[in-house]
Amino acid sequence: MKNRILVVEDDAAIRDAVLLNLQFADYDAVAFDDGKKAADALECDHAYDLALLDIMLPGMDGFELFGLMEQYSIPVIYMTAKTDSASEIKGLRDGAEDYIVKPFDPLTLMVRIEKVLKRVGKWNAVYRVRDVVVNTETHTVTKDGEPVELQPLEFDVLIALLRHKNMTVSRERLLSEVWGFDYLGETRMVDVKISALRKKLGLEDAIRAIPKLGYRLEER
Amino acid sequence: MKLSNRITILCSSVLAAVILSVTVALLLFAKNTILSLSNEQVQRKQQTLRTSFSEMANYYAANSDSDAVHTSLVRYCFTRFSDQTSVLMKDGETVVSSVIVDPSAYVQKDGVDYGEAMPVAVTVQGRRLLIAGSSTSIGGKTYDVYVVEDISDVYTRIRRMAWIFAGVSVATIALGAFVVMALVRKSTKPVTALSEAAREIADGAYEKRVAVRTKDEIGALGEDFNRMADAVETKISELEERNERQRLFIGGVTHEFKTPLTGLLLHAGLLRRANLSDDERDASLAHIESQTAWLERLTQNLLKLTTSDDEIELQAVHIPDLLDEVKDGVEPKLNERGATLSVQCETETLTLNPELWRSLLNNLIVNAANAYDADAEEKPITLTVKDKTFSVTDYGRGIPTEAQSRIFEPFFRVDKSRSKKQGGSGLGLALVKAIADAHGASVTVESEEGKGTTVSVLLP
Repeated sequence: MKNRILVVEDDAAIRDAVLLNLQFADYDAVAFDDGKKAADALECDHAYDLALLDIMLPGMDGFELFGLMEQYSIPVIYMTAKTDSASEIKGLRDGAEDYIVKPFDPLTLMVRIEKVLKRVGKWNAVYRVRDVVVNTETHTVTKDGEPVELQPLEFDVLIALLRHKNMTVSRERLLSEVWGFDYLGETRMVDVKISALRKKLGLEDAIRAIPKLGYRLEER
Repeated sequence: MKLSNRITILCSSVLAAVILSVTVALLLFAKNTILSLSNEQVQRKQQTLRTSFSEMANYYAANSDSDAVHTSLVRYCFTRFSDQTSVLMKDGETVVSSVIVDPSAYVQKDGVDYGEAMPVAVTVQGRRLLIAGSSTSIGGKTYDVYVVEDISDVYTRIRRMAWIFAGVSVATIALGAFVVMALVRKSTKPVTALSEAAREIADGAYEKRVAVRTKDEIGALGEDFNRMADAVETKISELEERNERQRLFIGGVTHEFKTPLTGLLLHAGLLRRANLSDDERDASLAHIESQTAWLERLTQNLLKLTTSDDEIELQAVHIPDLLDEVKDGVEPKLNERGATLSVQCETETLTLNPELWRSLLNNLIVNAANAYDADAEEKPITLTVKDKTFSVTDYGRGIPTEAQSRIFEPFFRVDKSRSKKQGGSGLGLALVKAIADAHGASVTVESEEGKGTTVSVLLP
């Protein structure tokens, strides 16, 4: 089952971009442009694993919406343009799981979402791409139902690519997510793991090398 | 040296000099008076003695036969009147004397003198003596009659008096100096208070004032000082307020820039990294275009807002021409929204900056057009110019009373989502206000919810 995420953001450009990013990362996302509308919709359907809330919203602001989220035990990440510490402190003291300051980088948003979902125990551990199924809890990978043996680092690189599915991930980003920052600069290690993954999982055409940018795991 | 000390020392010195010279003058006067009294006394005594003696001696001894009898009679007569100060001499020989000196050595005798005998003052063996003497003839023989008065006591008294005078004047000077010091301290106290207040103000306590108790120059200085402090406080609070406004404004600007920037960043990221379908790519590009247009509007308005702060150039403008230009300029935007503008003008020429004023009217008209709900059947807007007043009226939603005082604040929006959809930067009315302020014009808003709004700008 995919994780379900509620997005309330009044700016159409940001809303659409966040939705696309969430869909690419295999989330089921529902978006509203108005706080009041979101609150009304929550009455019938509140089966969300996480809410991404803007603070300055028409109808009902993000802080007001937070009360409802608490009622339905939906963890909240604020997306705010307010950099003043006062609003950050208010958001976090009231129990928001995290906040992200605009303008933000979509990959960072995805990592934060994943961390919050893991922390509250709602993280859906299963990723799928084509005929490959990856279970992060049991650390098992199957291709067409048959188990495939992966080295730990190969597994981590696969997860990083799956986390940003359909998005190009730079070698530097893979290094910092998998190996940590100490290995920055050693991009050749990434290429070795990628070619191993391609061979073992038969994903030669799915894991695409994008010139000058990095690698992209494509669903279609 | 402190001013109060300097004044105290100066005043005390003058006081001391005056008291000392008066004392010395008094002392000298008293001494002379006493001495001349003594002189007169001695003179009178000598005269009485001589006259009495001479009368009696001439009565009894003038016709004496023998010198011995004569001398003895004379001596007898003299002793009848003499005391311990009297001296009788004959041809330089002492006949009767009880004094320690020979008076003839001090007194010049030029022949027989029945007149006045001026006393002579001498000091003999530490004693001060007054000697008066004159001659008299008794039975053809010349006798000298002297009075030798010891006036040492008088001098002692004068000296004692001098000491008393000195003591009194020193005491007076000390008391005077003390009083002067107290007075000077009292009168310089406001000056000290002023200097303390000035220091506190310099340290940032701009609300500090001094108490004005007197109506003299120092009181006037205190009042002037307070006035100055008032002016400084007002200016400082104005500056602080302005600073705070600017800080809020910059905060607002930053906040306003972040939203379109986030959209741009996200869509650029999608276009660059994601495997988008053609429709998704088109949508992303459309977002980027609209966000960029929004940023462009924002910067344009910000630029106008900041330049309207500077000194503006005014010129006589033919108002009907200006209104035609405005109408041509806003026509496309009004057509887009289905609004109609009617213009009434009763004014020929006014002094203003045409560029900025066009922008002001343009903003008011677009704002009026946005006051209608999108699906309103008719959207009439009227622009009326009468005397020096420009009024723009719509019959749209109106502005809630509590929002009316805030609509000229930068980035204030009565309805955030709608305003953004209509392409507002949140700066339109702030710009109107800034341009009006630069012209010294006042802006008033009359609005009722559901009925419409009239914004009037009155040139001075």
